Amino acid sequence: MMETCLTLTDVSWRHKVRDYSTWKPWATRDGAGIHSINLEIKSGVILGLIGPNGAGKTTLMRTICGLYDCEGFDKDCSKRRKNIGYMPEQVRWEGRVSVRNALKSIALMRNRIIDIDKLIQIVGLSAKSDHLLDNLSQGMRQRLSLACALMGDPKVLVMDEPLNGLDPLAQRAFCNLLKDLASKGVAIVISSHQVTDMESLVDEIALLHQGQLLIEGSLSEVRRTLDLDNDSGLVEMICSVTGIDPSDVSLDLSSDHMMPFKTIGGEEE
Amino acid sequence: MNAFSLGVHIMKERMTAGRMLVIWPLLAMFILFSSWGLSDPKANLPSNIVIDSAYDVMFASTAFIIFSATMGAVLISFDGISRDRLSGVLEIKLSQPVSRSIFARSLLLGHWGAIFIPVFILNLISLGVIWIRMDDFPSAEELFIHTLANALLLLWWTSIQLLASSWARDMGSSIAIGLGAWMIFTLLWLVMTTVIAGLSGVGVENLNSSEYIRIEAIVDLFSPNGVYHHLLEMPIEDNSRISPLYSSIAAILWSIIPSLLFIRRIERIQP
Repeated sequence: MMETCLTLTDVSWRHKVRDYSTWKPWATRDGAGIHSINLEIKSGVILGLIGPNGAGKTTLMRTICGLYDCEGFDKDCSKRRKNIGYMPEQVRWEGRVSVRNALKSIALMRNRIIDIDKLIQIVGLSAKSDHLLDNLSQGMRQRLSLACALMGDPKVLVMDEPLNGLDPLAQRAFCNLLKDLASKGVAIVISSHQVTDMESLVDEIALLHQGQLLIEGSLSEVRRTLDLDNDSGLVEMICSVTGIDPSDVSLDLSSDHMMPFKTIGGEEE
Repeated sequence: MNAFSLGVHIMKERMTAGRMLVIWPLLAMFILFSSWGLSDPKANLPSNIVIDSAYDVMFASTAFIIFSATMGAVLISFDGISRDRLSGVLEIKLSQPVSRSIFARSLLLGHWGAIFIPVFILNLISLGVIWIRMDDFPSAEELFIHTLANALLLLWWTSIQLLASSWARDMGSSIAIGLGAWMIFTLLWLVMTTVIAGLSGVGVENLNSSEYIRIEAIVDLFSPNGVYHHLLEMPIEDNSRISPLYSSIAAILWSIIPSLLFIRRIERIQP
């Protein structure tokens, strides 16, 4: 039985967006977000967040990491942040600061001693540790973000599109690292649009659409629930659960196929 | 983990930033050259400025400090938040277990230190320049007030700039807000004072009239540069335009309000 690290009960968050219906330039209204998410994050399990663009994956990750202060968690923001390592999407590290110093400045924000050299070695930046951030490639910057996420031996790792910018070998190594961490009991929440890698990596998936968690469970459970073949992948699952015809997928996010199953907060978005 | 150690780290980072290659010579030219020029016994100064002592030189050279040091504070702090926000690094920093108020205080300390230390060092060198040129040295009280006023001026500008930077969502607006605030308080304040004086029924044809000087002193309480000058006028006898009590209250309010607004802003900021 996997231990539950974090429980989300009816977690909702709406972004504030400019309200153009009034003349006041400071007026805002509730925009897109996530609604009534119930989820259990278990130690040793790699949970993949999947869903189309704008589904609320990043918002959910930010709420988990305490970047948005909302209710519905079994631990408050400050307690959560102690045990969570967060890797945001595509951080553009820049400046005349070395990799080592950048990590030191983040390490100062954690209330414990961090072995920077070990972290640098784990993410494969030993040869670049004294290079300036301005001189790093995007792949190297991703590794640096990963090092920040791994700082302080977190119990939960939250990673938003971590495979972006990594070369295929680094992607494989990255997946192996995540599996290794999961086997040591670290709970991992990951989102990625690289479907093939996700399918081989995750133990469970949570499918988000229009801010709502539509289905969650292991891949086989989700296939069974959605009445899909055993060889059907994540795309088929997304199509099935959102009601989109796989042969008629379009980029139009406002397509009728993409209307939510449920309305958000009683009003249709 | 405390605000001081994190602040010192931020200060070191900012002091080694590329823009310091511009700020150091700018500060050196303004602070050292003004001390050198103003301490020249043959210097022919405009208006009725009389320079008799080392503190007179220090007081007169603050006009140059206002231009260079405040601009330095702007250059260091205008993107103190917005840069990290745009690059995504702020997301990583805010997800760390450090409390946001400690993080905000360390940002204030780090950015303030990065501009105050160069100004302090150059002020010390300028004391040597004045001593060589005039064979005079300011008293301990004058030195204390001058250093304190400089420290406070830079703290006010740093907090204003960091606050502005936390509002900006792109580099363009970050620069616009930062430079805009600097221009209002440094270049346009005289115009605003004149307009307020005119609207209050004070004649603006003679800027040396006692009525105009009084209203200028009051309006200056609402500008960091004005309060800075009020503080510097304290040791000068018969030259203080306003009661030291008001100057001190204004200095305390300028030290507290922008800093608290900034800390509150960081506590609520979303990446």
